[in-house]
Amino acid sequence: MDNVKKEKQGVLARFQELWKTTPLFSTGIALIVMVVVQTLALTFNSSYDSFGGWFMNWLNNWISLLRGNAAIGIISLGMTFVIISGGIDLSVGSVYVAVGAFTMVLLDTGAGGWLGALGLGGVPAILIALVAAMLFGSLLGEGNGLLISYGKMPPFIATLGSMQILRSVTQYFMKTQSPSLPDGYKEIARFSIGGQQLMPILYWAIAAAVMYFVSKHTTFGRYVYAIGSNERTTRLSGVNVRKVKRRVYALTGLLVAIAAIIQTSRIGSMDYASAGSGFEMDAIAAVIVGGTSMSGGRGSVIGTVFGTLIVAVMNNLLNLIGVDPYLSSAFKGAIIICAVLLQRKDNN
Amino acid sequence: MTLEMRNIFKSFGANDVLRDIDFTISGGEICALLGENGAGKSTLMNILGGVLPADSGTISLDGKPVSFHNPADSLQAGIAFIHQELNLVNDLAVFENMFIGREIKTKSGLLDAKTMCQRCKEVFQRMDVDLDPRTLVRNLDASYKQIVEIARALLAEASIIIMDEPTTSLTELEIERVFDMMRTVREQGVAIIFISHKLKEVMEICDRYTVLRDGVMVAQGSVSETNVNELARFMVGHDVRTESLRRERKLGAEVLRVENLSQPGRFSDISFSVRGGEILGFTGLLGDGRSELFQAVFGSGGKYTGQIYLEGNPVRIHSTQQAVALGIGYVPRDRKENGIIKDMNILENGSIVTWPRCGKWGWISWSQVKAAFQRQAERLKIKMDDENHPIGSLSGGNQQKVVLAKWLNAEPKLLIFDNPTQGVDVGAKEDIYDTILELAHQGIAVVVLSSEAQEIIRICDRTMVLYHGKVQGELVGDAMTDQEIMRLATGGEREERVAISG
Repeated sequence: MDNVKKEKQGVLARFQELWKTTPLFSTGIALIVMVVVQTLALTFNSSYDSFGGWFMNWLNNWISLLRGNAAIGIISLGMTFVIISGGIDLSVGSVYVAVGAFTMVLLDTGAGGWLGALGLGGVPAILIALVAAMLFGSLLGEGNGLLISYGKMPPFIATLGSMQILRSVTQYFMKTQSPSLPDGYKEIARFSIGGQQLMPILYWAIAAAVMYFVSKHTTFGRYVYAIGSNERTTRLSGVNVRKVKRRVYALTGLLVAIAAIIQTSRIGSMDYASAGSGFEMDAIAAVIVGGTSMSGGRGSVIGTVFGTLIVAVMNNLLNLIGVDPYLSSAFKGAIIICAVLLQRKDNN
Repeated sequence: MTLEMRNIFKSFGANDVLRDIDFTISGGEICALLGENGAGKSTLMNILGGVLPADSGTISLDGKPVSFHNPADSLQAGIAFIHQELNLVNDLAVFENMFIGREIKTKSGLLDAKTMCQRCKEVFQRMDVDLDPRTLVRNLDASYKQIVEIARALLAEASIIIMDEPTTSLTELEIERVFDMMRTVREQGVAIIFISHKLKEVMEICDRYTVLRDGVMVAQGSVSETNVNELARFMVGHDVRTESLRRERKLGAEVLRVENLSQPGRFSDISFSVRGGEILGFTGLLGDGRSELFQAVFGSGGKYTGQIYLEGNPVRIHSTQQAVALGIGYVPRDRKENGIIKDMNILENGSIVTWPRCGKWGWISWSQVKAAFQRQAERLKIKMDDENHPIGSLSGGNQQKVVLAKWLNAEPKLLIFDNPTQGVDVGAKEDIYDTILELAHQGIAVVVLSSEAQEIIRICDRTMVLYHGKVQGELVGDAMTDQEIMRLATGGEREERVAISG
């Protein structure tokens, strides 16, 4: 009896310690709680005649949730590195729309298609367009990186500027164009496995896995943490801080380009005025909810995946229980505030 | 006022930090509280300052038992704690800092700057300092900042002032100024608890001493009846060397030669050379430009004019990564700002320089990193439980050793140490000196920058003394004495030219 009590106290103490010291633990618990509530809501939302019917509904709900959040999930991975390095990137939504427009113009099946004008078509054109889109995204990110590292501009201001410029220029160029994409390109996201369109989820998972290894096992990844924690010491340790910073933004640009490819392929079109707007805030929210410190130096890729899922599951839950969509942002805001309040203890 | 702390016990978990400590101090007395890092000085003072509760024991003021639950209680009772990292807001004026949180307001609720300045001036007069309360704290030098802290304590009518290593970042002249202030305040009946590692200062300023070691009080008494060697022995538990560690070593080829190096406003026209196996010192007072000079050599100090030769080849060093690639290492001053990365663990802090060498294509082989770090950790006698713990869990001396470890693994040809024993306890200091001497023995060219003449005399073969960014003189071997270094550092001329060999 006494032993059991002691054991319990031990488990509880361990739990409290983990909760306090490991941000990933508290984020994980929060995610599990959200998923449980969401599952309950799904179960009691409608009546099922069989377990199989319930399961299919549950599975489909999850697949569409993950697929719908793959793009923002991938962008948030880049944002994680940016924020860990002590910076911020407000331009992700605009880079997203610029890359989307660029890809569509390249591949347009109508008269205006650039690759078509060169006589390229089919799979080669699509492959060229993919590489070009990723290079373009990296280049735009590199531009931010140059302004920040060599131009010595605060990241907030540099990316605020590029955010305005990129969206405005994209809208200007696209005002008379309405490109349509070849069907082959749409397969990138719509290719179905077992009757389900799982590709966007797969891309997200691969990107997250790669970024996780980069963050833990490469000099670049560890330098990003070091710079965010103490830039001076890192430079005095012989690290080329400016190069690392530049690369962080270029990497984010690349990830945004991948997100743009997935979305344009999935949806087949893009609204240049609104697409990607608010992505910077959604990505920052996912990173913060995932336990990464806004002041840099601390955070994790897995945390951001959890953070993205927490926000996504909450939106899904609100949808399931029929909360007015106008209120969904209020819940998102509340989640961010709660997350930071919970994490505040750890930061002492 | 008389303070008595009796039978103080404190433990953190299973760790007994203080065991049965008695401590007393009376008005008009300066008492040194001595001990290595981790001896329990800070814990004891934090109990007195209301930051931590004691597990058991009593505190009484003038015989009346008191208990402090927070720093405000303690201040209310007349105990002011001046922390090592000063608690001043640089962008506010002196008087605003002194009244921060206790501002005087006019009837209409606005700040009454005039009355506050008047009150500040009264305190300054009492302390016999001439300082305009409207000066921005940013524009004060380090000693005046310390003085403002003391003034703030007096303004709060503190009768006991705790000063935690107040002289760490001060030059010798500034230290004298602060000491004068402490003497003036003592004469007015204030008691001062002086926490320091610098025993010479203790001998100079303190009346009594208390030494803690591993949470136990090992000695106390009157300063006039002891000496530096005895105090050092109390602190570390065994004899401590103060003799020169200089030894004849075989000097190798020239590693670094600097000709006419200048940077406007920082240093000008500096020439010197250092050979493999040699330990060259650089010393001077604050503003002598020695740190700036070697930041330029290490590629982190911006543009310079003049020429640097490395192993006889002319080089222009633009960046720290270039300096590292050329085989230069730099252990910086101000460990907290320049030396450690607080969010990273011990292993990462002790290996960041060599990550690219452990692994390929940007991947890090952590097993290689770990093996290399552990070799240096053993060599440097770093005391740690687990290299995956945060760097902040180590004492100052061990943190400094970790900073050193990252450079040792890089195997530099030239290693620059800037204030290598800043905020380091006596034992760790000896370990660091041993390492520096061993490096020289292995044929590495070593440059040591220090504001402590004793440090230079003990370990360097030769020293350059700088004054306002210029070389004021060079002293070789036995010519390096406290007096001679001081004379050159304050701008005095050389008595005779010392032959420069090599």
